[in-house]
Amino acid sequence: MNRGKYIVLTNNPLVFDKLEKTHEVIYLETTYEGLLREVRDRIHDGHLLLTHPLSGSVKPNETPYKSVLISAGKEEVDRRSLTIIENAIDACHKFQDKTGRYGESVLEDFQLIDWTLLESGLASADAW
Amino acid sequence: MRLEMGHIYIKDIQFASESKIEDGILYVSEEAVKAVALEDEKIKSVSFDIAKPGESVRITPVKDVIEPRVKVEGRGGIFPGVISKVDTVGEGKTYALKGMAVVTAGKIVGFQEGIIDMTGPGADYTPFSKTLNLVMVCEPIDNIKQHEYEKAVRFAGFRVATYIGELARDLTPDETKVYETCTIKEGMEKYPDLPRVAYVQMLQSQGLLHDTYVYGVDAKKIVPTILSPTEIMDGAIVSGNCVSACDKNPTYVHLNNPVVHDLFEQHGKTLNFVCQIITNENVYLADKQRSSDWTAKLCKMLDLDGVIVSQEGFGNPDTDLIMNCKKIEAEGVKTVIITDEYAGRDGKSQSLADADQAADAVVTGGNANQVVILPKLDKVIGTLDYVTKIAGASEETLREDGSLEVELQVLTGATNETGFNKLSAR
Amino acid sequence: MAKLKVVHYINQFFAQIGGEEKADYPVELRVGEVVGPGMALTQNFKDEAEIIATIVCGDSYFNENLEKAKAEILEMVKEQAPDIFIAGPAFNAGRYGVACGTIAAAVQEELGIPSLTGMYVENPGADMFKNQVYMVSTKNSAAGMRDAVKKMAPLAVKLGKGEKIGSSAEEGYMPNGIRVNFFEKERGSQRAVKMLIKKLAGKPFETEFPMPDFDRVDPNPAVKDLAHAKIALVTSGGIVPKGNPDHIESSSASHYGEYDITGVTDLTEDTYETAHGGYDPVYANEDADRVLPVDVLRDMEKEGIIGELHHLFYTTTGNGTAVASAKAFADEFSKKLVADGVDAVILTST
Repeated sequence: MNRGKYIVLTNNPLVFDKLEKTHEVIYLETTYEGLLREVRDRIHDGHLLLTHPLSGSVKPNETPYKSVLISAGKEEVDRRSLTIIENAIDACHKFQDKTGRYGESVLEDFQLIDWTLLESGLASADAW
Repeated sequence: MRLEMGHIYIKDIQFASESKIEDGILYVSEEAVKAVALEDEKIKSVSFDIAKPGESVRITPVKDVIEPRVKVEGRGGIFPGVISKVDTVGEGKTYALKGMAVVTAGKIVGFQEGIIDMTGPGADYTPFSKTLNLVMVCEPIDNIKQHEYEKAVRFAGFRVATYIGELARDLTPDETKVYETCTIKEGMEKYPDLPRVAYVQMLQSQGLLHDTYVYGVDAKKIVPTILSPTEIMDGAIVSGNCVSACDKNPTYVHLNNPVVHDLFEQHGKTLNFVCQIITNENVYLADKQRSSDWTAKLCKMLDLDGVIVSQEGFGNPDTDLIMNCKKIEAEGVKTVIITDEYAGRDGKSQSLADADQAADAVVTGGNANQVVILPKLDKVIGTLDYVTKIAGASEETLREDGSLEVELQVLTGATNETGFNKLSAR
Repeated sequence: MAKLKVVHYINQFFAQIGGEEKADYPVELRVGEVVGPGMALTQNFKDEAEIIATIVCGDSYFNENLEKAKAEILEMVKEQAPDIFIAGPAFNAGRYGVACGTIAAAVQEELGIPSLTGMYVENPGADMFKNQVYMVSTKNSAAGMRDAVKKMAPLAVKLGKGEKIGSSAEEGYMPNGIRVNFFEKERGSQRAVKMLIKKLAGKPFETEFPMPDFDRVDPNPAVKDLAHAKIALVTSGGIVPKGNPDHIESSSASHYGEYDITGVTDLTEDTYETAHGGYDPVYANEDADRVLPVDVLRDMEKEGIIGELHHLFYTTTGNGTAVASAKAFADEFSKKLVADGVDAVILTST
């Protein structure tokens, strides 16, 4: 398993806890859309998008959490990555913001779902 | 493959001391079905209820909807690799209990949605307001992990549906339909002048509450493959997802996949229905590339003229949908895609998160952000506790008169992307 | 219930005054008269609405005296205080279509009276106004009158009553960028199978969701030798010499302006302003360089970073301007830019 090949960008504390010791994780205290914007900045910088930013059926603004894999290495700006992330950021505005309304246990469930979505991406990333 | 489907019409469901089907009435022994559900020690308790079309009843949060079936002739059994042993299904004779469903409900995660209203405006949108529903609400043992609970409820639903289906084994069907596909060579010889058509079904495959199983295999781990379209009628594909309930396929939809059935209607008349191709919707972009490459390759190898592609979900799958469409069209195979839309509450936003000019033939299941007011109903099966937090619901969800202001998103099957409903948008 | 009151707008041709030779016919209000297509509309209102006045205006008069004609018509409509305003149908008559769209949109926006028009999909007025007012899709000639009024009359009654308007497919108006749900007669899978059979047979079919046309443009290769390049400025931010001498519209611009900046090193509050009606103009009016950076480019010119700043700039307002119009403007001035030996353009928007 070569874990040097990708970086995890997340605003999900559960993901950070689980991967902090074994993976390169950038933890950012930001919103769902804020996290996508951080991803976009890195794509502009030449990183490749590895997982879909709109993973999961829980909608942006409904869940506050998002974790995305990008390549560790940088190359020319990847147009496809850029299109996907831009469309994803656009999509955030279609949904009402409900993130302020949840109790602790619901937030934990959102964290868990985000983790399992990322986990399925990690499984594919580690298979290479 | 040739499958004979015997339809047994269920006119009513009643609790009784003994489980049986007589004169179209399903009698259910509560004790017996409870025992079936509780076979799994992870389920602490289960309660059964019956909801009929037109009743003032709301079921929530719905996990899955299942049509009971029984395999009476031929290889394998219903739900291969899940309930029955692994064996290729899709031939012989199968009975289905029409007009009814087993509905599983239970709060696996705090934000879970999934509403079936048996009356009122919500009933117009969810297809499961028209079925007699045997509802089971499962409570897990304490301190269970969410994924264990999900699995326990999923399997309990299949066990109960199989138990109910078995009651029909010795009955005579009210109606019989025969579905038959040819081998590649047979089809070429039999229908030399008809266009060769397949159905490409994209399966939700992203993680907990976002999964689908094919013969028991997690669809994340498959590469695109070919099925005989009759296999799904025996439960080859089952649902493990329920988040954002409007455009997820409950097992009922897999068993009765409308694209499969409507292509069979035209088979041998206007087209040659060659096969079903299944593919997935993984979150990893390289997986998407592999799966869409393979899907297009299969279309080419099968010398297809056209395909219908159906989607499951929003956002991430939009990318798979467009990749599939673009690559299949590039092989010279004509496509029609089925999707739904998230155009915002005002209908003004961009509906999909991806787009391409190759997608020039689109069928839509409607805008899932459309707001609908659901009146207070007399009875709730399950729990409304979390309804204020469900997807698509706003802060004002529970209004003063007890009605709910929600988006179509929360209604089970409302904007289904296999074309299960009549809802559309322009 | 009392009948809904309708004011109907038509041009000189449909008022049977005359053709092109009478196109300068000024605005005329005919109270209590039902003229030309108004008869067919009345029949189709089925006693639910009646035309209380008809406004007739020549197409040239309207388009050449836009602001005046608009003001006159608005005043007349206001005075009649109808429940609904109907313009046209205009079919494929271009100037009539633009007039119908313009006035229907103005009545709706400025008087708050629901408005409706109708025209052929390729009428230039369609692209310009279909997202602003309900616009029934008609055939391309007046031979389609029967069909047009059949759709317009019931839609007008619904609008007048304030009833919920269904989807474009049900009501017959042109898709206006707002997606509306409705129930089809057949389930989706059946519709998909039928669409596929048509597509396979090479027959026409209608998609239920047209893909957005992003009109992606591949960027040109980078300018290699900036120090010797001639750079021009082009903007859709509406920067014009003070007073807006060519009357570029604040929205839905019908033309662009070409202005000489020879010797101009700074756009000041006294010399330039914006004509754009789609953003807060305060900062652009205070210092138009904020939208059209002449000052910075003059500095760069001086410092030798760029070769020179082209002495002409091109400007229009992007606010609601039809894509077709914008394309036509650019087609024209791009040729001028090339002829003038411009190497690169900085395009600013707002």
